[in-house]
Amino acid sequence: MNALLQVTGLRVAVGGTEILKGVDLTVRAGEVHAIMGPNGSGKSTLAHVLSGRDGYEVTAGSVAFLGQDLLAMQPEERARAGIFLGFQYPIEIPGVSNVYLLRSALNARRAARGESEIDAARFLRLVKDKARLMQMDESFLQRGVNEGFSGGEKKRNEIFQMSVLEPVLAILDETDSGLDIDALKVVSSGVNSLRNADRAFILVTHYQRLLEHIRPDFVHVLAGGRIIRTGDRSLALELEAGGYDPVLATVGH
Amino acid sequence: MSVAKTKAQSATSAGASGARPWQVAADRIAGVTPGLAWLSPQRSAALARVEASGLPTTNHEDWRHTSLTAYEKRWTSYLTTAPDSGTLHTPDPPLLSITESDVVDIIDGVVSVTAARGQPGVMVCSLRDPTPELRQRAAGLLSQTDLWPPDSLQDLNMALMTDAILIATDTGSCPTRPVHIRIQTSGAPTLSQPRILVDLSPDSRLTLILEHSGTNGALVNAVSSLWLGRGSHLDFIRVQLLPDDAMLTEATCLRLGEAAAVTVTSVDLGGRLARQALTILLAGTGSSANVHGMFLADGNRHIDNRTRLEHQAPRTTSRETFRGIADDHGRGIFNGKIVVLAGAAGSNAALTNRNLLLAATAEIDTKPELEIYVDDVRCSHGATTGQLDMNALFYLRSRGLDPLAARQVLTAAFLRASLTDIAVPALRAQLETRLAAKLGGEPGIGGPT
Repeated sequence: MNALLQVTGLRVAVGGTEILKGVDLTVRAGEVHAIMGPNGSGKSTLAHVLSGRDGYEVTAGSVAFLGQDLLAMQPEERARAGIFLGFQYPIEIPGVSNVYLLRSALNARRAARGESEIDAARFLRLVKDKARLMQMDESFLQRGVNEGFSGGEKKRNEIFQMSVLEPVLAILDETDSGLDIDALKVVSSGVNSLRNADRAFILVTHYQRLLEHIRPDFVHVLAGGRIIRTGDRSLALELEAGGYDPVLATVGH
Repeated sequence: MSVAKTKAQSATSAGASGARPWQVAADRIAGVTPGLAWLSPQRSAALARVEASGLPTTNHEDWRHTSLTAYEKRWTSYLTTAPDSGTLHTPDPPLLSITESDVVDIIDGVVSVTAARGQPGVMVCSLRDPTPELRQRAAGLLSQTDLWPPDSLQDLNMALMTDAILIATDTGSCPTRPVHIRIQTSGAPTLSQPRILVDLSPDSRLTLILEHSGTNGALVNAVSSLWLGRGSHLDFIRVQLLPDDAMLTEATCLRLGEAAAVTVTSVDLGGRLARQALTILLAGTGSSANVHGMFLADGNRHIDNRTRLEHQAPRTTSRETFRGIADDHGRGIFNGKIVVLAGAAGSNAALTNRNLLLAATAEIDTKPELEIYVDDVRCSHGATTGQLDMNALFYLRSRGLDPLAARQVLTAAFLRASLTDIAVPALRAQLETRLAAKLGGEPGIGGPT
């Protein structure tokens, strides 16, 4: 099967300091990849570079998404092509309602696929259904984007947006951080409900506990700017039991 | 010798219209406004002060950022050439349409109350044909001496106004429909001097919309005095939508009696030069003021807002938030002063001013000030000027919005925060639509369309 995402020899610097030092990663449709690693290993940098955030200098390597040169695309082009970034720290935007953002985002994605704007009644039904799935009160739809939301509500809102936008590839950056166990279950079930043969996920996480709820197909350990080990779910359990040090030691870090 | 004499003679003959244009205009206006004859002593005194001091210049601290020099010639040429017959011109189509309201047009400074349907509990009338009762209620408002800032523009308005409008409520009345004053200019080049007098009787409640619109080239010098009696409540929404070549100077003074409350929303979206001096005197114990302002200084617009909230009585409260955007070659000025006098113990005041500077060629000058003469008060003030939040911009782009749309969404959202206290839903919706149109975006970003 062809790869959705093909990262090859990716090197990235921030302010002249190299953070990613040659990352290779292949993600196929239907797969869930977990990127784990100690703090400062470059996990969030990888997520940001894939979503097109400013301030990162790609010094070598390439990223292909559905055969296109992802690094040449603007952030909005990536979104329209089907990439979704779940933010570690979702932004509050007072004065812009959640429902407006969602409709704009959905219509931008539809336009990119040559589809017409979504009918208002259908849109409303869709967002209400999805909100229920994420156990969110409908009233929040009219509120400002993440305005006054708790940390957990913000993360739930990210997954809610993802469920409405139905991306091809979702990159979730530390979605589990700051969540209590109940919120973690809601967020996880939201992700699991979207798993299918055509969609892939990259979960960036520090802890193994998210992976108890969302079972990954692959676990990668990112350290010092490189993926130093790749395995299945048992690797996450190994990390949970012994921490990162033994794994780092085996590869000479 | 003979040449010099001829020159002197011509100067004398031109002097009647050239050297003393204010006097010429005042004389002509007095001829067509017999209903205002009872104000002659005040008008003459005001005229003398204008002639002595001239228009404010940038040497005045209050006018440091705003120069009227470019307009002075136009003012005087309008005065000496434009006939002022006192007749009504056909108004332009209104810009705001609030169906459930009593509309009053003031065209070139002359009141037309024909459009007002009238409703119980509120009187709306022109001062051209005053009854004794009307004169009595208007006299106090017209002789108010604590208008701020004390500059010659208010004297000019007194000397040259062609009419005034009085809006007065009955004690305890609560008229259901807003009164919508539309200050307009006709196609003729005019310098108009609208004068608005509002007298809220005790325990009454009123919503007042003041809209500035007009034609290019219009020069407007408006003065409003509003008195809020004990326990009264005013919702005051001022909307400035003048065309790109019009100029407005405006002084508005509200005086609040005991336990009176006012909510002011001020919106500047138009004009070439618009300058507003808004004064709120918290004169009665327990009175309170909520002020929201916003301006968009795009294109070549110069928008100068200065506010003065003066706490005179104990336990008075003021909350003021002003938001502004400067873009292109626009310039926005905000000067907000809170004064807490010795008699205002237990008062509470907060002022914030937030600005967005969207172009390197645009300019924002902001100066929040506190002047406190008593210990037992809580006051805060602050001002920020910055660019759009890059994180918010990226967030929207990461959801598929193109950068231009994302910018428009964020700028409109920034300003619309100032509209949330407008108690007239139709007005709020129309302003949001206008705002979105001006910023090139679409309405409905804050909620359902």
